[in-house]
Amino acid sequence: MSEIATESPAPPSRIDALAAKVEGACGARVTRVASIASELTYEVAPGDLVGVCTQLRDDPALAFDVLVDVSGIDYLTYGGEEWDTHTATSSGFSRGVTGRDESAEAPAARRFAVAYHLLSMVHNTRVRLRVHCDGVEPPLVDSVVEVWPGANWFEREAFDLFGILFRGHPDLRRILTDYGFIGHPFRKDFPLIGHVEVRYDPDKQRVVYEPVSIEPRIQVPRVIRDDHRYEPALNGRASGLPGQKNG
Amino acid sequence: MGLVAEVDAELKDKGFVTARLDDLMNWARTGSMWPVTFGLACCAIEMMQAGASRYDLDRFGVVFRPSPRQSDVMIVAGTLTNKMAAPLRKVYDQMSDPKWVISMGSCANGGGYYHYSYSVVRGCDRIVPVDIYVPGCPPSAEALIYGILQLQNKIRRTSTIAR
Repeated sequence: MSEIATESPAPPSRIDALAAKVEGACGARVTRVASIASELTYEVAPGDLVGVCTQLRDDPALAFDVLVDVSGIDYLTYGGEEWDTHTATSSGFSRGVTGRDESAEAPAARRFAVAYHLLSMVHNTRVRLRVHCDGVEPPLVDSVVEVWPGANWFEREAFDLFGILFRGHPDLRRILTDYGFIGHPFRKDFPLIGHVEVRYDPDKQRVVYEPVSIEPRIQVPRVIRDDHRYEPALNGRASGLPGQKNG
Repeated sequence: MGLVAEVDAELKDKGFVTARLDDLMNWARTGSMWPVTFGLACCAIEMMQAGASRYDLDRFGVVFRPSPRQSDVMIVAGTLTNKMAAPLRKVYDQMSDPKWVISMGSCANGGGYYHYSYSVVRGCDRIVPVDIYVPGCPPSAEALIYGILQLQNKIRRTSTIAR
């Protein structure tokens, strides 16, 4: 077994072969993003998005004919203070609306991104594209409905929940939230409890909207990270236990 | 002595049967509570279990109807969202009197897991008057049947004619 392994060098993995094909087809328009678990992710400039997508779909060596998903991403507070669970657990998590460190926010121009998950039925390969939106507000990116008609509702969903506008979309309406809903609830600065609540008004004989009446809740998880077994000063007695190296 | 045998014996003895009209009406009402099919979320799966062959709600005269016009009971089975609140009230208003509401599961009872959500009604009793609350997430089919039996008891206690 080991002799065979030493004789022939490991063949290029499927993911490397696919990466070579994608980079050969798209050239400098795509930038590979570090990823885990043999996944292939590329960063694309907003201006190149439709061209790259068309190339990935039409190139017979790639043939990404299925758009599996389109999702928005809000990078506000990404990597910010609340992610540091060692200090934040005392005050709890509240979806980044309160108690966030303003200085840790992502630059406004890089706040919103859109991720595209592609599948090639022919080659059984998958690739992910990420594009950061143009502009500050509203975030803007080109629509890929012309490339994959299935993008229609996905882009409506990203518009509804994140407020990302898709240039060239044939019918960019809200798709999930209530009729007349104001705001984009998946944005990190949208309060979880929202702005309105409903109840039935017996006098008006209809369901009415009112300002929300409850207080936002801060969840304080009871996390014990510094168990005595893992304290460096105390772990002399408990040398055999896991986690000792981490201190 | 069962009800049929009791009635039979009285018929043979006297040739007629007497009963309080309230009892007769409540007997009819409790024996055929037809719920409008209003499944909203995972609770609806348990509601289907209750209706299917193992638990068989037909035994209690509970037959799911596709129209509110034919229904006596509304089982609010699942998460009631803001967007669904107006249609729920509309369906409730379309049901003919007398009508009852069973709130099934945590979400319908008080918002449950989604109590702090921007899009969920914090209890369907904000929209329609509720008679029976069935707790659980989701309640088992047995729990729903227990709730239905409790509603039967509630109906039996009401007097429509004699006040």
